[in-house]
Amino acid sequence: MSLFSTPGPAGVGEDCADDSRLRDFAAVFFRNRMAKAGIFILAVLIVSAVFAPLIAPYEYDEQDLLATLEWPSREHIFGTDEFGRDIFSRVVYASRISVMVGIVSVTIGIFFGGLLGAAAGFYGGAADDVVMRCIDVLLAIPAILFAIAIAASLGPGLFNMVLAVGISSIPYYARILRGSVLSIREQEFIEASRAVGSSNIRILFRHVIPNCLAPIIVQGTLGVADGILYAAALSFIGLGIQPPTPEWGGMLSGGRSFIRDYSYMTLFPGLAIVITILALNFVGDALRDALDPKLRDR
Amino acid sequence: MLIPVLVGVAFVIFVLLYLTPGDPARIILGTQSTPETVKALRAEMGLDDPFIVQFGRYLFNVFFRGDLGRTYVTKTLVTDEIMSAFPQTLKLAFWSVLLLSAVGIPVGIVSAIKQYSLLDNAVMLLAMIATAMPVFWLGLLLILLFSVHLGWFPSSGFDTPMSMVLPCVAVATPSMAVVVRMTRSSMLEVIRQDYIRTARAKGQKESVIILRHALINALIPIITIIGLQFGVALGGAVLTESVFSIHGLGRLMVDGIKMRDYPLVQGGVLYTAFAFSVVNLFVDILYAYVDPRIKAQYQRAGGTKRTAPSR
Amino acid sequence: MKKVLALAFTIVCIAAGTAFAASDTLIVGYEYDATNFDPHQTSDIGSQNIMVQIYDPLMKVNEKGELVPHLAERVEELANLTYKFTLRKGVKFHNGETLKASDVKFTFLRAINEGKAINYVVSNIDPDGITIIDDYTFTVKIKQPDASFLAYMAHYGGACILSEKAVKAAGADYGVRPVGTGPYRFVSWTKGDKIVLERNDDYWGEKAKIKNVVVRPITEATNRTIELETGGVDLAFSIQPLDLGRIEGNPKLKILRNKDTGVYTIGMNTERKPLNDIRVRQAISLAIDAAALNKAVYRGIGSVGRTVIPPTIPYYDTTAPEHEYDPERAKKLLDEAGYADGFKLILVSNENKERIDTMTIAQNMLKKIGIDSEIQVIEWGVYLDKLVQGDYDLCTGGWSCSIFDPDEAVYGQYHSSEIDNGYNWVRLRDEQTDKLIEDGRSNTDQAKRAEIYKALQLRIRELYPVVVTQVGEELIGMKANLKGVSQNALQIFDLAEAYFE
Repeated sequence: MSLFSTPGPAGVGEDCADDSRLRDFAAVFFRNRMAKAGIFILAVLIVSAVFAPLIAPYEYDEQDLLATLEWPSREHIFGTDEFGRDIFSRVVYASRISVMVGIVSVTIGIFFGGLLGAAAGFYGGAADDVVMRCIDVLLAIPAILFAIAIAASLGPGLFNMVLAVGISSIPYYARILRGSVLSIREQEFIEASRAVGSSNIRILFRHVIPNCLAPIIVQGTLGVADGILYAAALSFIGLGIQPPTPEWGGMLSGGRSFIRDYSYMTLFPGLAIVITILALNFVGDALRDALDPKLRDR
Repeated sequence: MLIPVLVGVAFVIFVLLYLTPGDPARIILGTQSTPETVKALRAEMGLDDPFIVQFGRYLFNVFFRGDLGRTYVTKTLVTDEIMSAFPQTLKLAFWSVLLLSAVGIPVGIVSAIKQYSLLDNAVMLLAMIATAMPVFWLGLLLILLFSVHLGWFPSSGFDTPMSMVLPCVAVATPSMAVVVRMTRSSMLEVIRQDYIRTARAKGQKESVIILRHALINALIPIITIIGLQFGVALGGAVLTESVFSIHGLGRLMVDGIKMRDYPLVQGGVLYTAFAFSVVNLFVDILYAYVDPRIKAQYQRAGGTKRTAPSR
Repeated sequence: MKKVLALAFTIVCIAAGTAFAASDTLIVGYEYDATNFDPHQTSDIGSQNIMVQIYDPLMKVNEKGELVPHLAERVEELANLTYKFTLRKGVKFHNGETLKASDVKFTFLRAINEGKAINYVVSNIDPDGITIIDDYTFTVKIKQPDASFLAYMAHYGGACILSEKAVKAAGADYGVRPVGTGPYRFVSWTKGDKIVLERNDDYWGEKAKIKNVVVRPITEATNRTIELETGGVDLAFSIQPLDLGRIEGNPKLKILRNKDTGVYTIGMNTERKPLNDIRVRQAISLAIDAAALNKAVYRGIGSVGRTVIPPTIPYYDTTAPEHEYDPERAKKLLDEAGYADGFKLILVSNENKERIDTMTIAQNMLKKIGIDSEIQVIEWGVYLDKLVQGDYDLCTGGWSCSIFDPDEAVYGQYHSSEIDNGYNWVRLRDEQTDKLIEDGRSNTDQAKRAEIYKALQLRIRELYPVVVTQVGEELIGMKANLKGVSQNALQIFDLAEAYFE
């Protein structure tokens, strides 16, 4: 993970991540039992996403119209859905979508939001005003509605869903990044760097942004959780990916009408979401504790 | 400051709807109409005009005439339509915020006082799980347990107190978890302060210390969170409303998007943005009321403290 | 203390129970909310089912399926495409006005000029040919010979008669302040919550038995059943097939099964390669196991269709053969057509669950004969655009009739003039089909029409533009003591004769 190899250019002041800080961080992070559990769960998730074809006993779209709506049994440990498809296999395959959506949407959000926020915070003045007014506007629209509107205008499909979730998160990252940049801009080592004649761009990318990484990493981890929840929500209201591709939110929505007699259909995908989000939150919290000394030992 | 934000919101949503494929005229007319009538209706609705003309007309009507227009589908005033859905949304927001404060704050306090106890750990774990629950899944589970199996509460509707219980619980639970955690950490921070130690040294009763000295000072971040939750809930709990078939703002707008009912969506989003900004303003005022320091700061700078919803 | 409480509780319960039983209110759970109650501005069944309680059309189809005068007392067909209507006397609108010929003329003109949503109902009326003879008599001239004109005059939406005065008084708000002559008057509408109707005690015909009707829109099928079981509603439409056994097994409830006019199809774009080859279309038809599909998607409710006209509509071909399923032959046909290695198709569906399910299963069945496919689920508005433009390979279609005449079931969908701007989504261009459709429309002789429509159904079957996957049936759940509720094949319900026993 890039997390443990924060760019450490030899530079002025405190922007170089030296060994002792890293060790310190790792010690705090791994002391946390919840973080360990979270990392373990995420590892399982990623393995199941990567090796889905090997883990899943059936194809995700393999139908058996003679074995529909079967309760969990030895052949189908999570039961079968209304087409006789194996729910366990579908939950496993769906982890691919969730991992993908989570990571890509956060990347989109952090990249564009971060760029905007960093530029606004760093240059200040008119640039800051313009960006912040735009962000104010976007933040005044309820997030889920914003995502729905973007998804509707882009049309259905996996890629568009990821894009919708990513775009709708841009203003949030921009706001967070701007705040961090503002606080760093005022610090002495930036002054020093300016004094030795570094260009603005250089200062921004060499000093300011690396120093904002801590909040970005924390927000990013929690953002993956948000991304997964948003994707599930979009699927749930029918703006998600196309059948027969499985997605946890879509599976929940599909199982809705069967909830009385076949509750297992909504139980397993729901549990998959909860466990994943839980793991991400554990890790996110632990990262925050480890990266932000002020919050330590709370 | 409000007007430019609203114009911006109108612009963003206008662009999004403009880019959205699908012909409102065809949807209105349904499957059994002729192409000529579809064309005529498009022209009549002004949908063939250039973007800037449509947007200008809309802005003029909204900001100079206070007219949000009529919906495409029901032909009623958008304002009426919003007002028919808003009471449900307001009720849902109010009761769920009340519920989450009434449960979340005390639990958070107890958890802080008994830090690292079994109770504290259990509460924290539960809170973690609650934040991880997708609200629509929670809603389905509540229906399954309390409507289908136990038969205690109805599964849909939002008119009787009984029918309001499950939706409020569904909306409140994830935010309640946030409030619990926020209260706990805020209290922990305050409890370590010197003046609390002083109060203890003076022999104050513990309950007085907690409630009079600590809580008041720990309240600010809690108020922020609760205010935000209220603001977000006012925007319509889209998913909860969908799960429990509640006719609220969120569902109104989602249905509007699906039916390409542009005036309804635009009006709804504008209204939501407005309500949201107003709530933020109230949160700011409440801040100042609770924290004299901020009041002073405001007086000095005429400050523009702003908050935004958590995602 | 406990005992007292328990007693008090029991008394409250009994009181509540009796209050409920004696109530003169029928609470209906319905899938849809209305959009508005202006018959000229709406074309959705959710609104029309409410409007049919509020308004009356000139004609009506009775229980035997015969077309009879309703608000009209008498109809005569004169020469020159002219019909003479005599209105019932003493019919009062809910606002107290008496129904006159001028109201009818006003209504028709309004429908022609402003009624875009229901244009097809009145489009054959010559706007200059409506002549008022006296307050209760008028003549209507139509533009072209049309065997289904009088059937359209029974249309539950577009043919409702409005009060000129009420429409003008309400202005733009007419859609939420409707005034009709029907057995129920409109009281209030809380969108998304309930529509309240009250008996019209001045009704000209037999008065409704139940005083108040409350229609609650409950979108989720599961919730409708739960509400019916828990007493939240007395009557619930569109019960999902999954819940059939649950309601049948409940002694307090009963179920009414109603075959409707819905014909659900998988349509093929007959102009696109490779579907322009009739052998490929036949192969696809043979690859679809319609019986298995029906069982999986509809749990055995309704039936597998045989032809494009529903069995509940006149001139349905009762001799049509069952759907044939033979994947082996399908493969051979593909071989013959030169597609032994298969090809890829785009399957489109709108957001309806049954239709998505149909495509999901069809995709699997097509895979077995070597056809790969991708499903696209598209929102309704965009979906319509795509279908009209022919931008798809296979689509899911559904067609329900609004009158009891087969013309409506075939003209829009299979006449070549409807390509590109109408409902011929499968883009069928066939002279023989066109000719038969036109003959069926202009002929008024019953025996002749029967012959024409039989030939037409055969012809369409031979061309394989669609696979008929399902003929609709609606399940209606209600309290066991509720009697007299009926719904016709057009899925229009009649609440005026309902009563609690």
